[in-house]
Amino acid sequence: MVTTAERTTVPVTVLTGYLGAGKTTLLNRILTHEHGKKVAVVVNEFGKVGIDNQLVVETDEEIYEMHNGCLCCNVRGDLIRVVGKLMRRRDQFDHLLIETTGLADPAPVIQTFFMDEEVRAKAQLDAVVTVVDAHHVQQHWEADEVIEQIAFADVILLNKIDLVTETELEALEERVRGMNAIAKIYHTHDAQIEMDALLEVNAFDVNNALQINPEFLNGTEPKHDKTVGSMTLIEPGELDDAKLNAWLDELMHKQGPDIFRMKGILNIAGEDHRFVFQGVHMLFDGARDRLWKPDETRKNELVFIGRNLEKMNLAESFRACLV
Amino acid sequence: MPSNKKQNLFKRLWRKTLSDYVTAIAWSLDGTWLAASSAAGEIVRYEVQTGKATVLQAAQGESIDVLAISAEGEFLAAGGQAGTVWIWRLENDASTLLKTLEHPRTWIDCLRWNPQCPELAFSLGRHVQVWDAMTQGVITTLNFESSSVLDIAWHPRGDLLSVSGNQIIKTWQRQDWDDDPTVLETGAASEAIAWAPEGTYFAAGNSDRSLLVWKEGNPRSWRMQDFPGKVQQLSWSMPTENNAASNAVLGAPLLASASSASIIVWTKDNNPAVGWNPRLLDAHRGKVSAIAFQPNSRLLASAAEDGYLCLWNKGSHLTQTLKDAPAELSCLVWNHSGDAIAAGDNQGNVLTWTKTMAGKGFG
Repeated sequence: MVTTAERTTVPVTVLTGYLGAGKTTLLNRILTHEHGKKVAVVVNEFGKVGIDNQLVVETDEEIYEMHNGCLCCNVRGDLIRVVGKLMRRRDQFDHLLIETTGLADPAPVIQTFFMDEEVRAKAQLDAVVTVVDAHHVQQHWEADEVIEQIAFADVILLNKIDLVTETELEALEERVRGMNAIAKIYHTHDAQIEMDALLEVNAFDVNNALQINPEFLNGTEPKHDKTVGSMTLIEPGELDDAKLNAWLDELMHKQGPDIFRMKGILNIAGEDHRFVFQGVHMLFDGARDRLWKPDETRKNELVFIGRNLEKMNLAESFRACLV
Repeated sequence: MPSNKKQNLFKRLWRKTLSDYVTAIAWSLDGTWLAASSAAGEIVRYEVQTGKATVLQAAQGESIDVLAISAEGEFLAAGGQAGTVWIWRLENDASTLLKTLEHPRTWIDCLRWNPQCPELAFSLGRHVQVWDAMTQGVITTLNFESSSVLDIAWHPRGDLLSVSGNQIIKTWQRQDWDDDPTVLETGAASEAIAWAPEGTYFAAGNSDRSLLVWKEGNPRSWRMQDFPGKVQQLSWSMPTENNAASNAVLGAPLLASASSASIIVWTKDNNPAVGWNPRLLDAHRGKVSAIAFQPNSRLLASAAEDGYLCLWNKGSHLTQTLKDAPAELSCLVWNHSGDAIAAGDNQGNVLTWTKTMAGKGFG
């Protein structure tokens, strides 16, 4: 029997942000914008989205603990339940937007799109977008949710910039950048932003090259915030495949709970293609990428975002995987 | 796979088209017509002989996800993403809308009639409501509490109602809805539960790639694991009488389970220490979307996203493959006498097959 034509997947944007950051403003902006996309929205509270003619589904956050072999992680049962059914009507929308509550941990949402076989077959994460209230965030740094939402983001909006001075904004950006070295950061007023910066970002496409701003690769110590920070490794040389696998296995197994996200491009010995990967807690997704170009310097670049990274001895243990 | 004796047991009768993904099909009691629903929200009644269509409800934009006809064949119930449960009274050739139960902003994901009387159980988020078609009133609202309801199954006697969700399955007694339910721990989310005919066994298909089976009255379960994916489809056969496998327990039914593209049929072993013996039915090249044993038989039908409908004799040998659906099959239902099958696909096609002369006397 022959399989039917390969199914394409719908891109999914996850919208996070602490209470009052401007998430709903941004949501309504996306829904009313003339971007030509039919967007379906999963929200946690129905009343706030006042848009007719849009497919809006309300769900209560339901966390399921999922065990598959040695993997164990939390997923969102409510999303598993609704996404599959929503996807049956593929012509009805071409982008899915998931709004989380202000107090939500983004990890279970992201893990749902990695772990659940049905959700994964029908939808693919596009990006995690986090809205930060540039003024009030100063009162919320103690909240784990604020830190986690920033650490998991691919796109960060420092919103309500009219309420802070230029100096305050710079200091905030530096602090946010210290936590998350890979996110794109925008300054917004009233969540005004170009749709191109939000939708179809492909941040979870493992083949989408890792982009690290060279400014953050100066070898300086990463700035830490409540022990959450980013760490970047750039190493020349070739990696021993077996050692690398063993290192990654052990890292995910032992440090998985503290590693929020990781991404990398690797140069494996005996291999003319780049190897690219990403991870979320204990979940790992890797793929053979394009050929190294003849004029390109073959090297390894990795970025980690997580808690207590400096205690993981990442640089040294990674170097031990080199041939 | 052993050499298969292929037979043409069933042949296609007709193909009709709804405007979107076919979500559910229900057969009338006498098998003269069926109802089919779509993700666009339409419900259409088709006469089997002629294929004549009667629209019970036009597409209203919100998916109808579940359809069921009551055991006596008197009522048709439908539910879905509009949060409404519709109930039609079926008389002679007419279907009259009897009642609509509105539950705005709640998806009605499951809906099952009591096999003994016209009582309808349906899911409402974390609750299950039981509604009486005779008095047209709500009998009870059960609080499942721990998660959203994922599946509902009545005991064949109609006196027990089992409800599954994340981590647990609760079973209420119809004679005293207010009494505390019996709780079974599953350790995962159970998307499919099923009572065997006569209620001798109970099974749960789980998201952690496992299958749990209980013998009635025994809280300890058999656990089958390492499926290729979530176990999402279950079907029990009638009790076996002369099973070919010499070590099989007489009188125990077969249990078919589907996970990804695989179907595994379980036979109860004579030796209690062995439990259940698996047989892999490996022919589909796409996710299996529905499996069902023919009523009063051990002929298993399976429908998958590869577009094939397969028939497996005695739940083991592939005996016929039907590739009549233009797209991915989404559902499959036998009529009550077992001489016709209806299936739907993800493009809105509804197909029926009926027994050929060669199909007489198998099973």
